[in-house]
Amino acid sequence: MDQPAEASRPAGPEALQVQVRSFAGREIVFDSEGFLSDFRQWTEEVAQTLAQESGLEALTDTHWQVIRFLREYYLQNGRAPLHRELKKGTGMSLLEIESLFPGGIKQGARRLAGLPNPKTCGQS
Amino acid sequence: MAEIVYLDNAATTFPKPREVLERMIDLYAAKGVSPGRGGYDCAQEADELVYGVRKRLCQFFGGDDPDRVIFASNATDALNLVIQGSIKPDGHVVSSQLEHNSVLRPLQHLREKGLIHYDLVPFDGEGFIDPDDVSRAIRPQTQLVVLTHASNVLGTIQPIETVGAVCRDKGVPLILDTAQSAGVIPIDISAWGVSALAFTGHKSLLGPTGIGGLVLRQSFEVQPTRFGGTGIDSQELIHTQTYPHRLEAGTLNILGILGLMCGLDYLAAQGMEGILQKERALARKLWEGLAAIEGVKLYGAARWERRLGVVLANIEGMSPADVGAILDGDFGIATRVGLQCAPLVHRSLGTGRAGGVRFSVGPFNTEREIDQAIEAMAQISRS
Repeated sequence: MDQPAEASRPAGPEALQVQVRSFAGREIVFDSEGFLSDFRQWTEEVAQTLAQESGLEALTDTHWQVIRFLREYYLQNGRAPLHRELKKGTGMSLLEIESLFPGGIKQGARRLAGLPNPKTCGQS
Repeated sequence: MAEIVYLDNAATTFPKPREVLERMIDLYAAKGVSPGRGGYDCAQEADELVYGVRKRLCQFFGGDDPDRVIFASNATDALNLVIQGSIKPDGHVVSSQLEHNSVLRPLQHLREKGLIHYDLVPFDGEGFIDPDDVSRAIRPQTQLVVLTHASNVLGTIQPIETVGAVCRDKGVPLILDTAQSAGVIPIDISAWGVSALAFTGHKSLLGPTGIGGLVLRQSFEVQPTRFGGTGIDSQELIHTQTYPHRLEAGTLNILGILGLMCGLDYLAAQGMEGILQKERALARKLWEGLAAIEGVKLYGAARWERRLGVVLANIEGMSPADVGAILDGDFGIATRVGLQCAPLVHRSLGTGRAGGVRFSVGPFNTEREIDQAIEAMAQISRS
């Protein structure tokens, strides 16, 4: 993984803090909180790197189960699952998901799955 | 849909009393024509109903002229109208760091257009502004003081009577945002020296969303910021200067106004004081329960005689967004997490961008629900 670099995105208050990072020769844009700017730029390598950076040595099958559910749901519905849908779809409680990822649900599971940073104030 | 424990009443009360909703719909079905726009009897009756609600609101808030009760969509809409309609170029405004974006953003908009300057007074560690700070911030150029009556984040009730006396002495109009307090705390703008009050109908007034407004004192003039049909002075292309139509353009939200009337009737029947005491007792129980949990941090003062039923909390080491998600997904408890549209409050509290978990009690919450919320927070905190 390469070092983060300053992006040259259009002006805007948040754009100033955007980072562009290189993964396997591809430039990938992250927002100021480390969320992918474009869901489609996600790769398994991205998830693994973000996981290591957050303190996880490796992503287990359980982690992948959550990540894959989030991605498939987002792809099909154009939004993140509701809390009850996340529980049903993963077969886990939200408390379990919170414990599973070092960053918790939002900064952990959602960010590693490449879902956009929610605009809604306080949304997980 | 599964039942939820609803603790987001500071956003909107939910559920609304069924009798309010049913009566509102019955009245709308019978009288829901365009009020004051036609000569037929039903239009006249609808107009009378609307005027009756203006009179009720004028009396409810201690106003001095029912024609100066102006309907708007909500408190934000009303605040935009009164701020933009009363400020003059090169003016100065005093407000506070406790404000909701409904005040901060109109002020910032006017500042960025180069029309005004503003200063925001701070709040203390308990969540109260100091009237002396307001007095010191007022300059010769100050045209308005705009303050919230009760913080939507901390629930703290501000010393408005004292601020009103300061504003009266200095000859500066005081605009009061009562989004959180209207319907739960008695308000008397004439006695308090308030020039204009903004309210919303869908919180403690127990009406539907989409209705709110202003109550203006006779001594306080507001210029129209929107123009159009009013049903009077139609021969003129210039918008009428007659209150209340001067500040109301287009067909009124009669469904919302009727719902607001039904909400006022409900409050009168139930007694506002009883509702306030119930909400305070539940919030106090919640506060004390949360305070006993290791790792839970609470904000503001536990001075319940000066607080509404709002409790802001965080769990050490956890994002409030995740705490809110777990409360909802695992425990069926609805709260409001994040900044609650009051970013400067969180900046002052040190809760930054993430904010906190706000529990806000309403008239229909129960002790059992509060116990559920405490137990849920305890389980999350232990995890």
